[in-house]
Amino acid sequence: MSTTNILLKVNNLKKYFPQKSGVLKRPKNFVRAVDGISFEINEEETFSLVGESGCGKSTTGRSILRLHEPTSGEILYNGKNILNYSTRDFRKLRKDLQMIFQDPYSSLNPRMTVKKLLMEPLLTHNICTKKEAEERIIAIADKVGLAKEQINRHPHEFSGGQRQRIGIARALVLNPKVVILDEAVSALDVSIQAQILNLLIELQEELKLTYLFISHDLNVVRHVSDRVGVMYLGQMMEMAKTEELYSDPLHPYTKSLLSAIPSSDPTEKKERIILQGDVPDPSNPPSGCPFRLRCPMAHERCKVEEPMYQEVKDNHWVACHLYNEIN
Amino acid sequence: MMSTLLDIKDLSVDVTIDKQEFNVVNNLSLRIDKKQKYGIVGESGSGKSLTSLSILNLLPDVLHVSNGHIMLDQTINLTKLSKKEMLNIRGNEISIIFQEPMTALDPLFTIEHQISEVLKFHEKYTKKEMKQLIIDMLDKVGFSRPKQILKSYPHQLSGGMRQRVMIAMALICKPKLLIADEPTTALDVTIQAQILDLMNALTEDYDTSILMITHDLGVIAETCERVAVMYAGTLVEEASVQELFKNPTHPYSVGLLDSVKSLGDRTKKLYSIPGNVPTPAQLNESGCRFASRCSHVMDICRKQDPPQFVINDDHKSKCWLYKDGGKKNNEHYQHTIESK
Repeated sequence: MSTTNILLKVNNLKKYFPQKSGVLKRPKNFVRAVDGISFEINEEETFSLVGESGCGKSTTGRSILRLHEPTSGEILYNGKNILNYSTRDFRKLRKDLQMIFQDPYSSLNPRMTVKKLLMEPLLTHNICTKKEAEERIIAIADKVGLAKEQINRHPHEFSGGQRQRIGIARALVLNPKVVILDEAVSALDVSIQAQILNLLIELQEELKLTYLFISHDLNVVRHVSDRVGVMYLGQMMEMAKTEELYSDPLHPYTKSLLSAIPSSDPTEKKERIILQGDVPDPSNPPSGCPFRLRCPMAHERCKVEEPMYQEVKDNHWVACHLYNEIN
Repeated sequence: MMSTLLDIKDLSVDVTIDKQEFNVVNNLSLRIDKKQKYGIVGESGSGKSLTSLSILNLLPDVLHVSNGHIMLDQTINLTKLSKKEMLNIRGNEISIIFQEPMTALDPLFTIEHQISEVLKFHEKYTKKEMKQLIIDMLDKVGFSRPKQILKSYPHQLSGGMRQRVMIAMALICKPKLLIADEPTTALDVTIQAQILDLMNALTEDYDTSILMITHDLGVIAETCERVAVMYAGTLVEEASVQELFKNPTHPYSVGLLDSVKSLGDRTKKLYSIPGNVPTPAQLNESGCRFASRCSHVMDICRKQDPPQFVINDDHKSKCWLYKDGGKKNNEHYQHTIESK
């Protein structure tokens, strides 16, 4: 790869939500939504976070935009820690970092026309005059596949797929560098999902975007990403290049996750690893390895010692005692 | 020879909006055999859930069955039953599992109370027998400590556990047919694998047929024997699962399969079907409902709704491309796909 310029680097990020109880609302316990994860995203790359619900992938995305203020850790954008920025300075930076949400029904204000929805970010950031803004809106609407006459309509007049196009246009109208896509295609039907994924890939190439793609859908992730990180209970379990992760998963969790995807070929009978039980409560995680209660390979050591997250192969990181012997 | 359990013939469902009627399920016919696992796949708005609701007579007030019949065991016409008679069918002969188990369970009552309600209604047991039956059932759906679950409330259980309770409740009267309406859509993949596995095992034990309703072709491939593809209220293609995945004929099924199969291959552009699902108002127009999105559209498609054409013994397709029996046209069709 020619460009290995790290654009975004997340270092030991933690986000604990306090659970308050009693009359005085003192925090009694903490939900460890994100518990010390690190990763980096190169310029013009798509990095994906996958995991089951409650594993902290969305919290990670939101923490990067400081929609949740992280408990500790570092987020370096272009080498500078954005957590040290004042609110005012951060707001200036915010136009570089944009987000596309899952539900196109609830993330668009029903009272605003598409034009107003797209105008708002431009005016908030004082980027251009109203007149220039209008030209930009028409240009971006065209890029995401909305017709010029549609921009005076309200969100309810659009179907789910088209609404997601509006959401994409709203994020891209500011010419961002990094776009965080939080389950951006999960609410869409298969045929519409394919349209939107194609659009996202095209736009990335054209506008030289960097994506942080958050999804639970392993097939979609495989299609869009360069590298993938697998999260479980707020921690990173494994991280590798997409093809390597899918062809040679190391962590038992990744293996079972991949084996659980229903195959779209009825003749293919694959070996299934069916996990027992549910994801543990993140306010009361098990000792040692977070995955050990469901892990088919768990042994004594997993109970007492938390596995190190380490690079076992070139660019292939894993947190599991099974791979400790290699070092 | 398999015998028929459920026979849906020419079912149409209409919705009334502002005193105007729109046809949302159009002349749907399908047959589910005893012990068969049958799947209906389609996107949102395709009418797959309405079909399942009309089997159980649970359609909301604005919707009604305007044509056709649904025969259970070749003798009982479900569309003609009174409300009272229907109560004996639901939960006893036909059960349903919904997508979101939290909204399907009552938050105010314990699991024991909710499962025993079904038993009280349909069978005569003493309290003690009933409790034992429920414990056995909870054990079967994979709870390691069923006695503890008895006293739990739904909010104390996780999504996967709630869906297990739903399955226990649905199967406790040993129904002949289990309708599963997107049973795993709200669940994570690892839990989905658990639940699908469990449903497969249990329905085999109880000789129950399954009608699996889903948008996920992967779930169909893993669990079903036969499949019907629905689009905008019509059944566009019906075949055995093996046949449909190997040799899809209707342009919609082909598109749906292509957009799933091309996922993961980064070198190629994802195959996508252009356009959107038609709105109810557009459904009253004549012609094939897929015509506006179809890449093989012909003049006749816009004028006349195609009937079901027979491709082979267990494969039917509702598309004008197959009006001469399928085979020959099929080659022409494969050719046009390749040359695209």
